[in-house]
Amino acid sequence: MMNRRIKETLIKYLFFLFALVSVIVLGLIVFSLFREGLPIFQHTPVWDFLFGMEWYPTYDPPSFGIFPLIVGSVIVTLLAAVIAVPLGLLAAIYISEIAPKAVKEILKSVIELLAGLPSVVLGFFGMVVVAPWLQDTFDLPTGLNIVNASAILAIMAIPTISSISEDALYSVPREFKEASYALGATKFETIAKVIVPAALSGISTAIMLGMARAIGETMVVLMVAGGAAAIPESLFDSVRPMPASIAAEMGETPYRSPHYHALFATGMVLFFMTLAFNLIADYVSHKFKQTGSATL
Amino acid sequence: MDSNIIIDLKNVNFYYGQTRALSNISMTFRKNKVTALIGPSGCGKSTLLRLLNRMNDLIDGTRVEGEILYEDQNIYAPDVDPVEIRRKIGMVFQKPNPFPKTIYNNISYGPKLTGVPVDDMNALVEQSLKQAVLWDEVKDILNQSAMNLSGGQQQRLCIARALAMKPDILLMDEPTSALDPISTAKIEELIEELKKDYTIIIVTHNMQQAARISDETAFFYLGNLVEYNKTEKIFTKPDVKQTEDYITGRFG
Repeated sequence: MMNRRIKETLIKYLFFLFALVSVIVLGLIVFSLFREGLPIFQHTPVWDFLFGMEWYPTYDPPSFGIFPLIVGSVIVTLLAAVIAVPLGLLAAIYISEIAPKAVKEILKSVIELLAGLPSVVLGFFGMVVVAPWLQDTFDLPTGLNIVNASAILAIMAIPTISSISEDALYSVPREFKEASYALGATKFETIAKVIVPAALSGISTAIMLGMARAIGETMVVLMVAGGAAAIPESLFDSVRPMPASIAAEMGETPYRSPHYHALFATGMVLFFMTLAFNLIADYVSHKFKQTGSATL
Repeated sequence: MDSNIIIDLKNVNFYYGQTRALSNISMTFRKNKVTALIGPSGCGKSTLLRLLNRMNDLIDGTRVEGEILYEDQNIYAPDVDPVEIRRKIGMVFQKPNPFPKTIYNNISYGPKLTGVPVDDMNALVEQSLKQAVLWDEVKDILNQSAMNLSGGQQQRLCIARALAMKPDILLMDEPTSALDPISTAKIEELIEELKKDYTIIIVTHNMQQAARISDETAFFYLGNLVEYNKTEKIFTKPDVKQTEDYITGRFG
């Protein structure tokens, strides 16, 4: 009897330890991010860092304004959302509500396969297939630009959006659908007015997580966004999103130089943006849950 | 007598894949009466109910043989739109299933779909809720989520929602089996009241309920219609021994 109780307690603490490890590791990573990032603000004030228009880290004197980088990240992510949200959501609706069983299984596995594609492969595809095509078709100086990066990011975000949305749609209780049909609603009306609204919290979570994935994605934007640290004037201009900048420059910068700190601070900004996406996703899903709609 | 018949089933067979769930059912339902369908679980009574507004169409691999005439038209004829049938034949389910929308929008959902503009939606909502004896309880919270109501209130809301379509027939699939006795009593009173204007077909597992509220009772067993007669007759001196055994609780 006593023995069993000790065992239970032991197991409890063991699991607590495992849970603690991930929290501690995360905490240490965030701590070092801040420790290496914050010193840049002795060199450049926060305001000038965030909203400075010039990112010339290797000039003398250097200037560390990451606003073009932020704009690059945001615009690439937004355009990716514009492409990925309708595609991902409609695919999810088709898979969950319309497709015959056989088609459904095939589509699901293909989309999961898409999620498994390494980002460097997608980046490669963007570089050697999409970029030349864009360049020729629209007569551009370069095919490595916002449109290209967004399209590739959208391809990466679609599996996330589609599979989480599909789970949400699938978990809408059958009773709601039956109630709708019994009132003389067609399939389309049932989907548009009952199923999608009831799954809205899950769908918003899906969109937010898809976007969080896109904004943090490094390899694709490094390879196909073009790398110009300037505010873009058209969608066919090159940009330099934050992750691309960090990945490209970190290897070249001296340890604990202002440039090094600036890159870490850029990482902080990115961290806060992804955090915001996650918090919004969490908030939205809780908010809808209270009204009683189906969620994940 | 004949003009009172609203639904007429002729040699209806129904299959789930290879399994036959209903065998050769022929029966009629009369206007403005409450007909109870009773029988042990799996006897096909719910299946029959769902045949009447083509809800079984939603299940893959089902097949219907025979004819179901509703006002002299076979509702399984190829040119019949199930959507039209369901607007005329409303349904209330076993588990209360209001939409996760406001009370008001639960009621207005169906009428809005018909495409016929409703002059006064507020009046329709009020009338439907009053018919379902729910108005007094919810008139001040019409814009709150229907999910906040109690189970019994939710079920009356579902009835009001069906009534808002102004159907001819109301199908009820064990409407009180998920409710407490007080809510059940309220729904039974309501059925009594609705009988004046609607034809009601109700599936129930509760013998007393069938005896209390129905005019006619049909007893099903293993997909067959065993006995169908006036409720009084079924519950006092049924013709078939199986029926008697079931209603006296010897099996089922």
